[in-house]
Parts: sequence; structure tokens; C-alpha cells
Amino acid sequence: MGHKKKRSHPDLEELLARPWCYYCERDFEDLKLLISHQKAKHFKCERCGKRLNTAGGLSVHMNQVHKETLQCVENALPNRSGLDIEIFGMEGVPEDILQQHNQRIIQNFYQAQAERAAATGNPPRGHAVQGPAKKIKYETPEELKKRLAEHRAKFAAQKAAAANGTAPQVPQADGAAAAPAPFPAAQPPAYPYPAMPPTVPGYPAAAIPPFPPTAPAGVYPAPGAPPVPGAPGASFPLPARPPGAPGAGAALPQRPPFYNGAGAPGEGPVQKVGGDDIDQLIRMAEAGIKPQAQQQQGEKKEEGAAAGEKKKKEVRMVYADTEVSPEEKMALLPRYRWVEEAAA
Amino acid sequence: MAPATQFEVAQPPNDAISAIDFAPEAPRFLVSSWDKNVYLYEIASGSEQATLINAFEHRAPVLSVCFGANQDEAFTAGMDRQVKKLNLVTGEQTVLSKHSEPVRCVVYSSEHSLLISASWDSTLHVHNAANLSQPHITIPLPGKPHALAASRTKLVVAMTARLVHIYDLPTLLSAVRSNTQTPPQPWQQRESSLKFLTRAVACMPNDAGYATSSIEGRVAVEWFDDSAESQARKYAFKCHRQAAPEAEGGGDIVYPVNALAFHPIYGTFASGGGDGTVALWDAEAKRRMRQYQRFPDSVAALAFSRDGRYLAIGVCPGFETGMEDYSGEGRTKVFVRELGETEAKGKGAK
Ligand SMILES: [Zn+2]
Ligand SMILES: [Zn+2]
Repeated sequence: MGHKKKRSHPDLEELLARPWCYYCERDFEDLKLLISHQKAKHFKCERCGKRLNTAGGLSVHMNQVHKETLQCVENALPNRSGLDIEIFGMEGVPEDILQQHNQRIIQNFYQAQAERAAATGNPPRGHAVQGPAKKIKYETPEELKKRLAEHRAKFAAQKAAAANGTAPQVPQADGAAAAPAPFPAAQPPAYPYPAMPPTVPGYPAAAIPPFPPTAPAGVYPAPGAPPVPGAPGASFPLPARPPGAPGAGAALPQRPPFYNGAGAPGEGPVQKVGGDDIDQLIRMAEAGIKPQAQQQQGEKKEEGAAAGEKKKKEVRMVYADTEVSPEEKMALLPRYRWVEEAAA
Repeated sequence: MAPATQFEVAQPPNDAISAIDFAPEAPRFLVSSWDKNVYLYEIASGSEQATLINAFEHRAPVLSVCFGANQDEAFTAGMDRQVKKLNLVTGEQTVLSKHSEPVRCVVYSSEHSLLISASWDSTLHVHNAANLSQPHITIPLPGKPHALAASRTKLVVAMTARLVHIYDLPTLLSAVRSNTQTPPQPWQQRESSLKFLTRAVACMPNDAGYATSSIEGRVAVEWFDDSAESQARKYAFKCHRQAAPEAEGGGDIVYPVNALAFHPIYGTFASGGGDGTVALWDAEAKRRMRQYQRFPDSVAALAFSRDGRYLAIGVCPGFETGMEDYSGEGRTKVFVRELGETEAKGKGAK
């Protein structure tokens, strides 16, 4: 990035270069500000106020210190609150999301320019003279829609394949306030909200309250399933690293390891990773010592089923007697049986 | 905000837990056990421990316990078919009534000073706890009761064959006071919202409705008001399930949801399952708020303290299909979780 131009309207390159937050789409002057924003807004422990570096770190902290399972990233936009994607600053933002973001900036940029042109009568600046902007293909809204649809399809397919997403949830009010201008209409949620499993016998279909798309407050279909060793989908796609983080100074904080010290109780041994090899850290996370991400698999499966997946799932009930309770059975065991003593 | 803490009670029951209840005021709770005892614990504030104050031995396994009007009075029921009053100061046990089969649950309504017991003999006994010299009344049920809960004005009885009866507590009180010969009729008769055997029932603290859970990893929430509008609000959802390892054919392992408890202040509720987990749900917003770390065995019972500060969790092996033997010996534990200020606070509807 070259020199900063003192102009009331920043050029497109400058806009595109601004670091932004995956969770709430806010953009920042520099990466350090973004990282401190993420720690304060998205990775802060609601129990003790501790600020962690990543959602994974917060998950482990909550597990170890508060014996609790992190459900989702706070203050995130719907569909961005999942714990399956490990974000640190601009790192870990999936390629398609990154492109969506850039696409939106481009669109807004030209829209603003067109509006200014319409207001002033001047021809839009940059089209003929400015180098960088010319290189960026300007798509018509139709093309843009199509492209976004492709992104979404691709993303959904990836999601389905990885099957380790987290159900979205309603962002908190303050999160919503912090969110930037609304997404263009052509950008609906990347994957469907979880529906309440439509499974209640004796209920009219209408009895299951629908969840309006604006309020994705689904009850999570299943509490965390345990890590499934060797299950397919255990390796979620390696998050694409964004091209050269803009504004990256020498004093940037290192991407921290996901796990500080010992692993989550009940999980396998966790390698302690030193150094700053980010790729290695990402791979380590990918390799599986990520209780949260794996845990989500079960939920994701349930969501699939709820969403109308016709494939009949194998279900084993731990207790299956529909007439006699476990207590009645226990009552028959010699150990607990009560025999009225002969009249004393 | 003080961090939430959780600790294990030092002297747990020796066998499976059947029920837990907190005292009306003091931070003390009772645990009934299949080892024939009722245990009284007191939480020492700030010390992260609960002290066993006393254990009260019964003749047979105790299937249910609840506090009465104050922290020194309790009621118990069990395999020996008796409903008893237990003086927690002197240890004195007084038989209040006798069923013809084991007594599964006892519930005390402080608003109406009523003690209600539910037995596998398919009856309820209703006692006027304010005047125990008055004879109890017996209400016949259409099926064996498995779970019982009271709100301020209602009593919910969940039975076999997915039967649910809701009784009006003021009606029961006037019936027992006048010692009526014709047993009071249920205020409402419903079919369970869940397809499988009911495991637990809990009432909302605002007297508006209740939650039920079944052996098939599912919870339903519904409202007392039988207007179409209120009934349209009811819903059910899956929970306490695990994905089975692919090596074992995949699919889902479905656990019974053994315990439900509403938070007395926030109206959110906790569920405890055979999977050894406890989850907190926001009934209004219909979302899971929290999921606690897995406990070593099935969660058998749950109770919030009346001020909502503590959650007591009874953990022991779950009885599963095909078990020919069962023992909770050596594996029965009680955990107490001190909740953070807003830990159980829902975010509200929408
Ligand atoms: Zn953010
Ligand atoms: Zn914390």
C-alpha cells in the first residue's frame, strides 16, 4: 500500500485494504485495532471478563475454568457465530466470505460514486484515469447476484461436507448496533437456520413455531456430541489465509496457539505448540484437537435431519421401554425389592 | 461478575439418587437415594463445599423427597409404599398414608400447604399439610404416574400411555378440607406432547406452563391456558443425544432426559440426561443457553435453590434397556454449581 491520499473519498484500494472483522463486518484502521476489537467483543469470557485471542481459546477457557461449553461467538452476525471457523484478526476468514466482503465494498463504492456523479454532474472519477480501480471488474447487479449465489452454493457445499458448523444465533443488541450497513439484498444467509425438529406426535404442524429468518433463534437440536474419532468430516476445510494482511506492521501480535497448556479435560493429549508457524497451528487445529468443532458435528447432523433430510438415521435408544419406567424395573431387582414384613 | 463455581459433595449417597430438593430459605438440600437414606446437606457459602448434616434411614429405598413448610420439615416416599413426614431436627418419621404400591413422587405446595403423593397403585393422595390430622383424599388415576410437579396453582401428573392430568390446587385444597367423598376431577386432561414415556415434569415459576421430558431425548414446553393461541405456542425439541461412532454404524444414541428444573427467578430451565450432561434452555427464546461439562454418569436429578443461586445435580449410572443388574454403588455423586449472576438469565423472546 502506498501513500495515503488526503481525499474526502478514499479510493477503492484503500477501502479494500482495510482490515475487517469476520464476526460483525466492522472495518478498522489497522490490524491491531481489529484484534483488540475481537478480543473485547467476540472473545471475552462473559463469566470473568477475561479476553482470549480466539474463539477456540475462549472455548477451552470456559471449559476448564467454568466447566461450561461455549455455544457460539457473541455479538456476531447471524451465520457468523459458529465455532468451526478459527478467526484471528483477518486470518482464517474463508475465501468466499472474503470475496463477498470485497464484492460488497466494490459495489458500494461504485454506487456511492454513481450517486455523487448524479448529484454533481461530474463523470465518475477513476474509470478512465485510475489504474487499480480499472483492473477490478465491475459487475452488474445481476452478475453480482449470480456470483454470490455461486459463492453461497459453494459455501453451503463446503459446509455440508465439513458438517461442523454451529447453529447461528441472534446477535446481541449491541452487536447489531456495531454491525455495519446492512448487507445488500442479494446476500441472504449462507446456510439455513436450524429448524425446530418437526417431530412432535400429536401436534398439528402449525403448533411448531416457525423461526422467522430475521430471528434465527432455533433451539439447538442436540447438546454437544462427544468427539467422534475418525468420523468423516472431522477435518474441516483449511481456512484460506487472506492475501497479505493489510497494514501489517512488525509489532503485530503473534497468532496464539488454540490451547494454552493442557487440553480440555476428557480430550486426548494436546500437543503444546510453540513458535509462530501459523500454518502449523491451523493444521493442528484441523488435525482435530478441537473439541468444539468436533462436538458440533452431532448438532450439524441433527440440523440436517431437521431440515428434512430423508435419509433414515440409525437411532439407538438407551432406554426403550415405552410403558414401564426405569424405576419400576429397578424396583423389581432383589437389591431394592421391598417385602412387607410379617405383621409385627 | 463472580466466576461460576462447581464442586462435588464430599459424602454422597451410596446408591442411585431418586430426587433432590432445596429448602425454602436456607442453602440446604435433601437427596433421596435407593440406598434407603435421605441425605441433608448444607452449602457453606463461599467455601465451595456442602456438608452432610444428617442422613435419615428409611425401611426401603426412598423414591422421592421434598421440603415442607420450612427447612426443618420434609416429606418422603418410597418402595415401602409409605408417605412420611420427616422431622429434620429430631429425625422423627411419621407415616401420613399408605399406598398399595411403591410411591414414586411427593410434591409440596407451599401456597396451599398441600402434600401430594403419586404411587404406582395409580392414585394420588392429597394431604392438608397445615392440618395433618385431617384425613387425606385419594384421587384415582387412569395410569401409573411417573412424574409430578406443582406450580403456584396447578399440579401436573404425567402417567403411562402418555396421559397427562392437570389439577387445580385450590380445588384440591377445598376437597381435602371438606373431606369430599367424590374425588376432584382434573382441571385438564391432555395427551403428552411426547411420543415416548415421560421421565420428568417441571412447572414454570410464573405459573404459566410446564415442561416435560421423555426417555427419547426430547423435551416439550407447553402452557396451561388452553386457548388455541396459547396451545399454538407449545413446542418440542430433541436433546441429550450423541452421534454414535461411525465404526459402530453411526447414527444417534438417544438418552432419556431424566430431570428438569426451572430457574425460580429467570424462568429458564435445566435438563439433565442419561448422556451425563446438563443443559440450560431459554424457554421463551427457544434456544440452548448453556451446556455444562459432561458428568461421569447419567444425570438423575436436578434442583435449583429457591433463590436461584445454586443448582444441585445428582449423578449416578443410568438404568438402561437390557440391564439385568444395576447398582449405583461407588458411582453416585452430587455436584453443586454456584451460578454466576446472569448465568441462567435468558435473553428473552424473539
Ligand atoms: Zn467484530
Ligand atoms: Zn472466564
